[in-house]
Amino acid sequence: MSEKVYAFRCMTCGLVSYPKHAVCPKCRGETFEPVEIAGEGDVLTYTDVYALAVDYETRYLRLAIVELDGGMRVTGQLLDEHPKIGKRVRTTVGVVREPAGKPIYGLQFVPA
Amino acid sequence: MRPVYVIGAGMTRFGRSEWPLVDLAATASLAALHHANLGKIPVSAVVVANMGAGRINRQTAIASALVDRLSLWPAAAEAVENGPASGASAVKVGYQAIASGMADVVLVTGVEMMRAVDGLEATDFVASLSHPEAEYIYGVTLPSLAGLFARLFMERYGVERRHLALVAIKNHDNAMKNPYAHIHQPVTMEGILTSPEAVVNNPPVAEPLHMFDCCPVSDGAAALVLASEDVAAKLGAPRVLVAGIGQATDTHAVHERQDPTDLKAVRLASAAAFDKAGVKPSDIDVAELHDAFTILEIAESEAAGFFKVGQAHKAVERGETKLTGKLPINPSGGLKAKGHPVGATGVAQLVELAWQLRGEAGGRQIAKAKTAYACNFGGFGNNVVATVLRKEER
Repeated sequence: MSEKVYAFRCMTCGLVSYPKHAVCPKCRGETFEPVEIAGEGDVLTYTDVYALAVDYETRYLRLAIVELDGGMRVTGQLLDEHPKIGKRVRTTVGVVREPAGKPIYGLQFVPA
Repeated sequence: MRPVYVIGAGMTRFGRSEWPLVDLAATASLAALHHANLGKIPVSAVVVANMGAGRINRQTAIASALVDRLSLWPAAAEAVENGPASGASAVKVGYQAIASGMADVVLVTGVEMMRAVDGLEATDFVASLSHPEAEYIYGVTLPSLAGLFARLFMERYGVERRHLALVAIKNHDNAMKNPYAHIHQPVTMEGILTSPEAVVNNPPVAEPLHMFDCCPVSDGAAALVLASEDVAAKLGAPRVLVAGIGQATDTHAVHERQDPTDLKAVRLASAAAFDKAGVKPSDIDVAELHDAFTILEIAESEAAGFFKVGQAHKAVERGETKLTGKLPINPSGGLKAKGHPVGATGVAQLVELAWQLRGEAGGRQIAKAKTAYACNFGGFGNNVVATVLRKEER
């Protein structure tokens, strides 16, 4: 499993989108190159979820949607004791889920 | 296109089923068939709405199983899976079959047995509709998507937890008048928000949403009998017309939407349904909305066009959406209190509206209801089916 998370840049119009589409939502181009997701952005919204999915043993998970500089948005886990809408954060990659002991890497956000 | 009528409607009480899956579906189906009183007129097709029997009940091809249980051979049969919007999607398939002339009488049955598995598994089953790489792997569940949505929506429009509580109180009150509702428990503002005990009574589920903002996990089934104009006339049934159906999709990952608080698929599906029916939102006498979370009743009522964006919570505060208000919303108790067996929900919404238009809704009857609207919200708003029913005078 990759320890990087990728968005996809359309080779026709340049739009970077995430997650992956087989057809560009803007120009309908069909060729893409992967672009590593890394950088800073603002917390658009967050939640502490107690209705947990399987594979978690914590009491709750703090999830967020972050708007990265450049405008693309991503969903991930927010590692911040004092979350707030609009707060600056930066992306990092960590284990976000571990079904049957098999780690899955994904986006986490820490205060910038 | 031929006009399509609802000539029969029935359901089981939602909650925990004592019966196996197909018996549950058969019970609702028989209630609808008896209501339609078809006599010797055959059922030409059966459409079953269901999201997860293959996974949670380990039974597949349940439309064939239902035909067999009801001895309806050689009727055509298929199941429709469209997440939590499976119900209205199945009604749409039945509608298309009659409108096109392929069938004259269609039984549409929605069914889900979610309590066959534990709460964690039920939550995971529904969560599996989220985007696998961009949402699900992070621990996203439906309540968490609703929590993310609610925080942003509430901050932007000044909606407070007490507005959400008012929706819950109203829907629990309505469910008290609905013998088919899962939950028969009146709730108060003190009990779920303002008293010291409220912290215990109403724990957080996905902040800012708490337990009384979320629908329960339910078993249940609901069924409609749809028919062509010829059949409806022959039976002399009350004329409840399927006046318009609209459907729209949106991005799978919620974060990809230009404005994640804009329920675009609700907006587009509703506009299409109203357009087909030749009515405006202000013509609607009663509505059933998909309040899997209280915030969604508020947001959907705006996206459908009943209130201006950012204004619905004020209408709730004024009591406009109560049974006695200008636009009663969720007289059945909604998903919040009637329950939410996912595949059955979209059908159950239309069962309630058919009863309302026929004047058969008992203690929750809306006087002189003539035009009705339902919003069946699939995914987290990425696949929405809106339906308008209208009573025609004979």
